Amino acid sequence: MAEQPAIDPMHQFLIHKMVEIPPVNIGGFLLDLSITNSIFTLLVGAALVMVFLALTARGEIVPNRAQAAAEALYGIIDNVLVTPIIGAGGRPYIPFIFTLFMLILTLNLMSVVLAVGNIGGQHWTFTVTAQLAVTATLAVITFFSVFILGFIKHGPKFLSLFWVPGMGIVGGILMVFIEMISYFVRPVTLAMRLFGNMLGGHVVMSLFGSFVVGLGIFALAGGIATLGWIGSGLSLAMIVALTGLELVVAVLQAFVFAALTTVYLNEVVNFGHGH
Amino acid sequence: MANETNATTEAAGHAAASGGLPQFDFQWWPGQIVWVLIVFVVLLAYMRLFAVPKLGGTIAARDAKIADDVAQARQLKAEADAQADAAAAERAQARSAAQKMAGDARAKARAEIDKALAVEEARLADVAAVSDAAIAKARDKAMGNVAGIAQDTAQAIIAKLTGKAATAAELATAKG
Repeated sequence: MAEQPAIDPMHQFLIHKMVEIPPVNIGGFLLDLSITNSIFTLLVGAALVMVFLALTARGEIVPNRAQAAAEALYGIIDNVLVTPIIGAGGRPYIPFIFTLFMLILTLNLMSVVLAVGNIGGQHWTFTVTAQLAVTATLAVITFFSVFILGFIKHGPKFLSLFWVPGMGIVGGILMVFIEMISYFVRPVTLAMRLFGNMLGGHVVMSLFGSFVVGLGIFALAGGIATLGWIGSGLSLAMIVALTGLELVVAVLQAFVFAALTTVYLNEVVNFGHGH
Repeated sequence: MANETNATTEAAGHAAASGGLPQFDFQWWPGQIVWVLIVFVVLLAYMRLFAVPKLGGTIAARDAKIADDVAQARQLKAEADAQADAAAAERAQARSAAQKMAGDARAKARAEIDKALAVEEARLADVAAVSDAAIAKARDKAMGNVAGIAQDTAQAIIAKLTGKAATAAELATAKG
């Protein structure tokens, strides 16, 4: 119908440069740190987290609503995850888990309700957490922080993580391979889970959005095509429902990322107790 | 993958996008990775130095304050209970003292009454004894007179009937 395809749900994930920064030459590799719409939204998200916490963490004994909200978010990490899963020994890792949780939660929610990406020439909110580069980086940060912490705390003994007792020599060696695969696949699943959830939801929403406009334009032709209004209306209703679902997914995926990080940390902090 | 250094044009981006997921357009990866690392480190420092101590510290302080207040309330309640107990004990003591005093007064009054009663009874007994003695004496005297009168009467009857006076011995025998 039109020159450019009416339905292009992937368009929302396209990255554009907003502010050009000359590339940095690192040993022959040109690192381009230009501010793109993705990076801009990431920076806005991080700034929102910091401003929100600066305004709400007032330290009053009797909290107002905003402070109670910030403390409730903190309570999710402290009372729901760290203390029940790791125990008192998990206290030093709360900042790490809270950082992951708040950043992912904010970026996820922004992708549903805040059209920051519009400033970057997008026609939809920009979903930073639907960029595999971003989720993979977060997953690798988590994985290696935990892995390195294991060696710092327990030394080479930490490698006994892969040894399953009571399997005999041959069975044990076989299990080492399986255990290693299941261990090193963790950052992949961590990255893919968040990426896939955010990608899928936004693609579906974008598709229904195209249906609203596409079927609406089709219905303007008159005649039997007028029935297109029904499809257009239904698609609009679907978007409303999907927005609600996406809000749930946004919070849930941030929580899942934080929960898995806590579980991985628990293996390191309480190494040798739970095996 | 042909996006190492110079393929940073929009055209390359669109070409990659039309071929599949824009996320796999690797020309944008290094920038995003480095920026995510920077943002994460800054945010982590912010959390560790400001947000978490503030939030966690406030929550801990609140919990401590609540525990403190509850402990203080408990202590005050214990004090109030102790005071109530002391008041109750004092009242019980006062009551027993009053009861003792009343009992003493009653016993004393009873003793005085008993004493007065005993004196009066003794006096009455004395009077009664004196009276009894007097009555007995008067009766004995009267009875003695009766015997004499009977003897005299009997002597007179005998003298009248027999014409001869009976002797005193005969009369005593007849009386049986």
